[in-house]
Amino acid sequence: MLSVLLWLPLAFGIVALLVPAGRAWIPALAGAIGTLVVAVVFWAGWGSPGEVPQYAESVPWIPELGISYSLAIDGLSLFLVLLTALAWVPAVAFAASRKAGEGRERLFYFMLMLGESATLGAFLASDLILFVLFFDLMIVPFYFLFGIWGRDRDGVGAGTATMRMIIYTLVGSLLMLVGAVALGFAAEDASGKELTFEIAELIRRGIPDSTQYWIFWLFALAFFIKMPLFPFNGWMPDAYRAAPLPALALFSAVLSKVGAYGFLRVVLPVMPDAAELFQTAILIFAVASIIYGSVIAFTKIDLRLIIGFSSIAQLGFITLGIFALDDTGASGALFQMVNHGLVVVPAILIVGLIAERTGSEDLGPMGGLAKNAPILAVIFLIVTMATLALPGSPNFIGEFLILNGTFQVSVAIAIVASSGVALAAYYALRMYQRTMHDPLPPGSDSREISLRDGLIVVPMVLVLVVLAFAPQIVLGETGEAVADVVEKVGSAG
Amino acid sequence: MTAASWAWLVLLFPLLGSMVIAFGFRRLPARTTGIIGTAAIGLAFVAGVGSLFALLSEPSESRYVASSLWEYAGVGELRIDLGLYVDPLAVFMVLVVTGVSFLIHFYSTAYMESDEGYRRFFSYLNFFVFSMLLLVLAGNFVLLIVGWAFVGFASYALISFWYRRTTATAAGMKAFVINVVGDIGLVLAAILIFRELGVLDYRAVFEAAPEAFTTNEWTIVAICLLLLVGAFAKSAQLPFHTWLADAMEGPTPVSSLIHAATMVTAGVYLVARSWTLFELAPSAADVAAIVGVVTLLVAGTIALVVTDLKRIIAYSTMSQIGYMFLAVGIGAYSAGMFHLMTHAFFKALLFMAAGSVIAVMANNQNIDRMKGLGTAVPFTGAMLVIGSLALAGFPLTSGWFSKDEILDYALYRGDWYTWLAIAGYVGALMTALYAFRIVFRILPGRPCPEAAELIETGHVAHGEPVNPVTGAAEDYEVGYPGRDHHVAEQARGMRIGMGVLAILALVAGFLQVPGVTEVVKNFLEPTFEGSPLAELHPPVGKAWLGLFNGGVIAVVGIALAWVFWVRRPAIPEALQTRFRPLYELFLHKWYFDELIDLLIVRPVKALGQFANRVIEPFVVGGIVTGTTTLVRSAGSLVRDLQSGMIRAYAALMVLGTILLVLYLLIGAA
Repeated sequence: MLSVLLWLPLAFGIVALLVPAGRAWIPALAGAIGTLVVAVVFWAGWGSPGEVPQYAESVPWIPELGISYSLAIDGLSLFLVLLTALAWVPAVAFAASRKAGEGRERLFYFMLMLGESATLGAFLASDLILFVLFFDLMIVPFYFLFGIWGRDRDGVGAGTATMRMIIYTLVGSLLMLVGAVALGFAAEDASGKELTFEIAELIRRGIPDSTQYWIFWLFALAFFIKMPLFPFNGWMPDAYRAAPLPALALFSAVLSKVGAYGFLRVVLPVMPDAAELFQTAILIFAVASIIYGSVIAFTKIDLRLIIGFSSIAQLGFITLGIFALDDTGASGALFQMVNHGLVVVPAILIVGLIAERTGSEDLGPMGGLAKNAPILAVIFLIVTMATLALPGSPNFIGEFLILNGTFQVSVAIAIVASSGVALAAYYALRMYQRTMHDPLPPGSDSREISLRDGLIVVPMVLVLVVLAFAPQIVLGETGEAVADVVEKVGSAG
Repeated sequence: MTAASWAWLVLLFPLLGSMVIAFGFRRLPARTTGIIGTAAIGLAFVAGVGSLFALLSEPSESRYVASSLWEYAGVGELRIDLGLYVDPLAVFMVLVVTGVSFLIHFYSTAYMESDEGYRRFFSYLNFFVFSMLLLVLAGNFVLLIVGWAFVGFASYALISFWYRRTTATAAGMKAFVINVVGDIGLVLAAILIFRELGVLDYRAVFEAAPEAFTTNEWTIVAICLLLLVGAFAKSAQLPFHTWLADAMEGPTPVSSLIHAATMVTAGVYLVARSWTLFELAPSAADVAAIVGVVTLLVAGTIALVVTDLKRIIAYSTMSQIGYMFLAVGIGAYSAGMFHLMTHAFFKALLFMAAGSVIAVMANNQNIDRMKGLGTAVPFTGAMLVIGSLALAGFPLTSGWFSKDEILDYALYRGDWYTWLAIAGYVGALMTALYAFRIVFRILPGRPCPEAAELIETGHVAHGEPVNPVTGAAEDYEVGYPGRDHHVAEQARGMRIGMGVLAILALVAGFLQVPGVTEVVKNFLEPTFEGSPLAELHPPVGKAWLGLFNGGVIAVVGIALAWVFWVRRPAIPEALQTRFRPLYELFLHKWYFDELIDLLIVRPVKALGQFANRVIEPFVVGGIVTGTTTLVRSAGSLVRDLQSGMIRAYAALMVLGTILLVLYLLIGAA
């Protein structure tokens, strides 16, 4: 059954290739909505949190090499799968409403839907090689989306920017592939049983410490580049500026989470000793990313870059929570992955709405849009407040849990990280204020959000609002799975 | 109904009011939204009274209820409920907040009549009251932080209410960011509490704390100091006070509600709420008291020299809250809460009167321009005098009873606390001086042009709309007053709002008369049950002596003000030239803005620029360029395949990766 969820988007993507170009969006949107419905059905059938995994299927794929096609949903992946399925709907709808993919609509929507299948695959895979393959596969459609339909900015061609991104990311995932293969063999050697890449089986077999120590960094590097964390964010600014907005929204909201998810899914359970040994090092990377992303977001005026660098800071928080190796911290991190995704999609789509009204994505010449567009302003205000993790937003609970977890490990790191919260308040509010408040410059059109755009943006904001009242909806389901992962690290040493 | 059910209703009405107005803003007529907003707060007050009676019907040792709707967030040991804690302190705050807010809403229905954003105003105002009530009713530290931050957010929204005015948006941002710094203090405090005690619910924390901590152990001191960071930021105490004066950019009823009567007292409430913790950490409590005293002195000096009417009152607020921090810092909890209440009355009144004056002055706020307003708006003039009398602590007014109760207590505790009391008396002298500086400068004399216009024509003057701070031209939609502005004190809503508060400012003091009644203290007693400091009580004779001293100081201060600004105006001018450096120091608000800019804002910006100009291109960019160059040079070995097509290149990369993996796998197998 999980295969239906996994391949449904691609199936609709293929249909999109076959219909007239002008209608290619219809199967894509239908596919995105259908996938969301299937994902919700899985969630509705979810049993008590204790049963692990809740849904699973596994068939041998390349038995000689021990590679199997195994999929599962458990507490770790449930809400990320839901986030993926949810995020694709407004992104596709936004693309359709803006007639995106000009000239080659069929290819555009095919790529978009291939991206969804690949991303879902990364979250669903319970075979290590399958995970790595999906991890690589998901970048490919985005490469085309950014490269073909992106824009050249300030002398940096979309092609060049995307090229840098893909080479960089692929180098990272290549290293991870090597690591993954090596893990399989190390486990085979250690156990004397036949080769397999089933993650659960790798955990049972255990990996020798010395092997863990170097493979750990191969994975960490791949994930750091993907998220990205400082100092591996070099591909990010140009790619963010080039990307078409709906694709960027997905990339920033969902794809960046796969890296963080990989830590929880693979690195911590399979390489617990390494995770424990290198804990401090990773925490330092994480806290450096928080500060670095925040202070740069402080200085940028390009809305995409503000969101991009704030994402670096947010992923720093998420990594911090995971490597606190504490159940509150890691639960907070997983929750924050969902929250950040929920915030970023509307934020980036609103950047599009702002650009349509002001003709610019730079904060310099804008302002005052709230004048005739109070509803747009309020929507953006809610998104802004969630971005800066105003207490009362679900993001605050995420951050609170992360800081709480970090505090148990290192008071100093927790305090430095918390300064990122104050910086976020400044750069996020500045983004709101310079677009919606202040005088309305001539040439800006303060136009209210249309009903259609409202229908695209508001549902995700509503999910945020619901979670604000009851973060426990998520935390209650993920808690045990996360605690399971984290406790293994503690007990392994 | 139990006190808890009433308390949920207290929260429900303002939230509902805010939402109804927000969702109906296109359909509802403006007047209706004003009525809805005001009624919502009125109902909340009624529910608060219900809660009061429900609580009073219990025996005094069980006058508390905790109530939870559902589990808000729980991971492992950590459990946070969406729950309330209702005890006398919470109910006291609820009544003060809803009572004063109700009058301010009422006043606003008239005052904001000509404003373009009338509906938005009431939606925000209701949301603000909801947040404040959540803050005081929250049953655990996390929900407290939520209310705390919502209050900060509402204050941001209301300070930036005229959002196309850049000075207003900048002020809103400043208030918000400083408040977030305070929030972080609270978050860290909550985390530390959880680490040490494993619980976050008030009652559980307060019961566990005395077992877990020894007096002045560093952890409990750290917890209390972190709580104080939050408290100082919200209550505009040094060094987190700079946002409050700028917050005067908001509409005057907002200044009255948020920046005088309610929000800024949250810090005082927090210390009183956490008295168990502070008594375990007396050094932190001393910090609260000392910072309060320093703030009251510094704010007093600034209030003596600035000329913006609203800012003078804003600094007086800081100063009065300093007294409250002194009170809760030294253990005079009920006196602190009593002063919180009387201050809410007379300060809200003063701001309302200031609003009325500003309306007459066509939005001009500079007291140098104001003259003869006593003749033009006699009712407002009377209100201003009553408010100033209470602020100055004139005998028999509410401020006299409440402020001097605090200072009596400080004297009674003796030791070095005596010095705090003495500083408090110096502050009281300054208070009387600046309060009556306002009165004597703007009420008597020959009417200024705006006042004269009102007297002669019966119409409020209409100036061109300008920013009152910068003087830059604006349009009518940006700030107060609107195009059809004609309210003055004749507006009924304003008169009733001010009138009721004036009565309260005059008589509320009689709730606590030494040797006669102790309504507030007795009511709050269950909350402070078990505190040795709350048991301390100056004998009646000493209390009256203190009141006498306070009264003398107030009268002397008022007399001095009369000499300075009526009889011999040359004296203050001479003092200004004589003590030029001191005058400059006060006028520039002790250079706190400049200091914060220098120590925090600039370094962060410089760090950002450094990261942008150096680390980003050379370090971060260097890694990318290095990697891609490496890959490209490997790729150039197969240059023929490149064919200029980037896509083909990428496809090649993917293919290469997959082949490499297969190779590895097969080779190894």
